[in-house]
Amino acid sequence: MPIDSREVARIAVLAKLEISEQDSQRFALQFQQILDYFTQLENIPTTDIQPTYHALETQPLETPLREDQADDSLSAEDVMANAPSSVENQFRVPKVIE
Amino acid sequence: MNALHVFSIKQLRNAIKRREVSFREIADSFLHRITEVDSKLHSFLTIDAESALAQADELDKRRSQGDLRLGLMTGIPLAIKDNIITKGLRTTCASRILENYIPPYDATVVRKLRNEKSLLVGKTNCDEFAMGSSTENSGFRPTHNPWDLDRVPGGSSGGSAAAVAARLVPGALGSDTGGSIRQPAAFCGTVGLKPTYGRLSRYGLVAFGSSLDQIGPIANSVRDVATILQVLAGWDRRDSTSAHRPVDNYVAEIGKDVFDLKLGVPAEWFGSGLDPVVENAVKSALNQLEGLGCKLEEVHLPHTEYAIATYYIIAPAEASSNLARYDGVKYGHRTSSHQTLQEMYRNTRSEGFGEEVKRRIMIGTYVLSSGYYDAYFLKASKVRTLIKQDYLDAFEKVDVLVGPTTPSLPFRLGEKTQDPLKMYLSDVYTVTANLAGIPGLSMPCSFSEEGLPIGLQLLGPHFQEGRLLRLAHALETELALEFPSLVV
Repeated sequence: MPIDSREVARIAVLAKLEISEQDSQRFALQFQQILDYFTQLENIPTTDIQPTYHALETQPLETPLREDQADDSLSAEDVMANAPSSVENQFRVPKVIE
Repeated sequence: MNALHVFSIKQLRNAIKRREVSFREIADSFLHRITEVDSKLHSFLTIDAESALAQADELDKRRSQGDLRLGLMTGIPLAIKDNIITKGLRTTCASRILENYIPPYDATVVRKLRNEKSLLVGKTNCDEFAMGSSTENSGFRPTHNPWDLDRVPGGSSGGSAAAVAARLVPGALGSDTGGSIRQPAAFCGTVGLKPTYGRLSRYGLVAFGSSLDQIGPIANSVRDVATILQVLAGWDRRDSTSAHRPVDNYVAEIGKDVFDLKLGVPAEWFGSGLDPVVENAVKSALNQLEGLGCKLEEVHLPHTEYAIATYYIIAPAEASSNLARYDGVKYGHRTSSHQTLQEMYRNTRSEGFGEEVKRRIMIGTYVLSSGYYDAYFLKASKVRTLIKQDYLDAFEKVDVLVGPTTPSLPFRLGEKTQDPLKMYLSDVYTVTANLAGIPGLSMPCSFSEEGLPIGLQLLGPHFQEGRLLRLAHALETELALEFPSLVV
């Protein structure tokens, strides 16, 4: 499917980005080139091939477990220190319920 | 003692052991060099002279009291790529969206270096969120190559590689998702190692492509790289992807013989697109390796041509998911122009992210989106299996794969910024190690006529970092490269 500025706008909504009309045309052109380049993968037969999501799947993998005991963690003040807006150790966001 | 900055980590350690220098002199020397030179390179985003000097004074005091055990990195100045978090020290990922972010805790690798009493002098520039191959995508300013200021240092760990090459620090940490340690190491004439996926903890590395990311060292010699790796490697209960297996003695590999090694030369790496200057330098290094008694054999990695497409589907897909956390709520930039929550998300992200990051988030969102997932992301994940299998098959026959790190010499600033695909293609030899999870090392093997470094890449089977370091050190000794003069 060809990528036009409308398709770029659709993706931008999903990605929670605002793309200006001017940027949108340039992005469309670049996406088209990049997606065209991706089409070479279509030629590779992969019917019986399992996908790889973890590079070391062929190595024995284990998830070490620990005792279920309380451990130190960051203080609420430390966690909140970088918040752009907060009240009483809670993140403040714009009103979401009308 | 004002020329201390040219010392390697090994030389510094020896001088410290013999009490020929104080920690203060070491810190002063490197900080002075940074002040003198970095206005031309822009390799640092944040310099923490105060902490480094205080730490050095503390070490001198403890030593005079006979209360200091010397570790592998005690008193050694190091720089940390700015996508690895440092408690109390600004960490930006070279992004405007994290311009004022002060981490509340240390990455595990940083904690390990602090335990060793390294002098952490600052945070290095990189492509924004490590997305790029030239450090031109930094949200603040590009870094310049110390061998030619008109050229890029490579990326994304360009600040770390440039700082090490220019002797602003004797070692630095980088991160490598598709070549971001090895390619800048090659462009700057330094040694860089991407360890096996899981060999060291990524706790505190700001996530880009979680199935690909690794932290690794950059230094001016193979031995120094081995020494830093020795400190960093190991399982971490805070990183579920770190490997629960013992750490080899990497430093002990330095100086061992290599005549028993069988080296594979992938035919696919010497096709069109490879600059003849790089090709000749690599072939000459291969001859030297043969002279050391290694056996050379041509091997095939038949899916090499699909590596870039596979990588540039998987990495942006993972990035689009990982970067969803930058929403202006918990930390980082928040837009001042918004009415609704959704508008706040959109405007925050649009103001905070640079163009390449937006491009990758959007490519990633697209290839994961309904109706396209199977054709792009699932397909690429299956091709990834084939690429990985190529490597596993090759390592049945040979011990190490050897070839170029990059297809070209360091390119000029601005040369590829208008054409994202062209920039992506410069990662052709490095992305496969991340897709397969194997370790890779880049080391300088020659300089071009105009004095630009050329990198040689060594790839090994999972967890065989020691073998790569052993081979690299033998070649480094054999080559005894004469470096041209730095332009800074």
